[in-house]
Amino acid sequence: MSTVVRIDPTLCRGHAICALFFPGGVELDAWGFGRVVEPRPVARRTVRRALRAAAACPNGAVVVYDDRDGVGASGATPIGTL
Amino acid sequence: MIDLPELRVPPAVVGATTGGVATGTASAGAATGTADGEVRIGGLGEPGTVLLSGPGPGSGSESLAGHRARWGDLPGATGADVDDLLEASALDGRGGGGFPLARKVAAARDAGTAPVLVVNASESEPASGKDRALCVHRPHLVLDGAALAARALGAGAAAVHLHRGDAGPASALARAVEERRAAGVADPRWVLSHGPGRYVSGESSAVAAYLHDGDARPRFTAVPLAVRGPSGRPTVVTNAETVAHLAVVCRIGPAAWAGLGAAASPGTRLATVTGAVPEPGRVLELGGPPTVGEVLVATGVPAPPAAVLVGGYAGTWIDGAEAWQTPFERSALACLAASPGCGLVGVLPHGACGLTETSRLVRWLAGESAGQCGTCVAGLPRLADGLEALAGGRFHRRGLRRVEALGASLLGSGACGHPDAVVRLVRSTLDVFADDVVRHLAGAPCRGADHPPVLAVPAPFLPTAGPRPPEDFT
Ligand code: SF4
Ligand code: SF4
Repeated sequence: MSTVVRIDPTLCRGHAICALFFPGGVELDAWGFGRVVEPRPVARRTVRRALRAAAACPNGAVVVYDDRDGVGASGATPIGTL
Repeated sequence: MIDLPELRVPPAVVGATTGGVATGTASAGAATGTADGEVRIGGLGEPGTVLLSGPGPGSGSESLAGHRARWGDLPGATGADVDDLLEASALDGRGGGGFPLARKVAAARDAGTAPVLVVNASESEPASGKDRALCVHRPHLVLDGAALAARALGAGAAAVHLHRGDAGPASALARAVEERRAAGVADPRWVLSHGPGRYVSGESSAVAAYLHDGDARPRFTAVPLAVRGPSGRPTVVTNAETVAHLAVVCRIGPAAWAGLGAAASPGTRLATVTGAVPEPGRVLELGGPPTVGEVLVATGVPAPPAAVLVGGYAGTWIDGAEAWQTPFERSALACLAASPGCGLVGVLPHGACGLTETSRLVRWLAGESAGQCGTCVAGLPRLADGLEALAGGRFHRRGLRRVEALGASLLGSGACGHPDAVVRLVRSTLDVFADDVVRHLAGAPCRGADHPPVLAVPAPFLPTAGPRPPEDFT
């Protein structure tokens, strides 16, 4: 299994909160919308940060899921625990 | 081995000067398919065509009786047979992506129960007319293919997704469905869906979403639609031309079908020729495959034009002389960073300005964004601003670098591939029209800037003024 971190661009409204919780893993583009720079984190610590960013995003735009089945993507329970 | 039904080959193919599939049975057909087939170029009802064989454009929608006379009954192949045929033929998607249908079907079958089949005939590419031509003139070939795809998938129903602004295909298909019902054809349950005709509404996740909840906007997907669509069920969205080819594959056999094309791109392919041609919007079936030059000669363009836009309005420009020699086929076009896409070939004549044309296309494409992803909504109008400034000669080197940076930040930013496609279009423009770029940068827009528009764009769907830039390009 491999963990995937993505930002759903249809939900992101550029609050930039993800960048606070996942420094180095998310950057903001020219308009302030989040971009994931580490979409496949391996280190547990990084995954934990991604999950924090997912919990913190006011729009639920940060999704963390298992790439085999997509479980954890928007709507479903994110994989792992904080 | 697959038991293929007895084949009645369409008369237009049997004994046609081009040879190819001239054989009585499907199993024997395999022997005659030449590996790299002869070049065939033909419009509706013209010799050498396969999908388009039969009556010409004047005779309207083909009846079930007429269809059966040329193609025979719907093959009795089981789902497993169709599956093997799909695999053996390597039939690739003809909507733009070129993804093998066999892989979508396999993914959906592995993913679980109650798969959904959607045949996308909405043809949201404004200058393309091939799916429309098929649905209007050969509705039973499309429905045969859809019925066979539904069998392979194990789906009890098949949806055909149409553009609600275009009555032609809708009424032809509705009539064809009635005829089949009356004749007791072993069909799935048909669902005719009429969606909005906007550009990104034809994207596969938007089509699947429209059928699920009526909102035809692309969706963010964690796993492929074929694994889990918006409804939670595996959803295979495939193009109308793709399933029409499947209907042929199941009759003449995968080897004979593949032999109509090249080894790297099996079968024939439909194309629409537009721009500076005598008859813009003409749909042709290409086998062999021919070079872009051969296609253009057949449409009345005797010599290489300035440039050719291939694959769609968000496609790729190729220099005219280079395109002239290039086979209109996936692997050859891939060497030029292009793709056949939906089969569009747009001709830019000498004396017209590629930068001006592209700036109009990009402005229109920017307005066709589904308006949901921030970077796409904000960035595409800026890209259009940049192209317009460049085309108008109001531009410096710094502006060009900014267009390039803007492109880089748009790549991969959306829920769908729309921004990426527009960026690729812009990159190919800067590349193919590099000499013009230099001239425009020097503040001297070329003579072509006053040329009347070559590639027609529909009226914009949305006003395209995005958030204004903090600084201008000029
Ligand atoms: S916190 Fe959420 S809405 Fe804000 S930029 Fe990050 S992903 Fe987008
Ligand atoms: S990337 Fe653009 S066109 Fe695609 S869904 Fe997002 S806003 Fe719409």
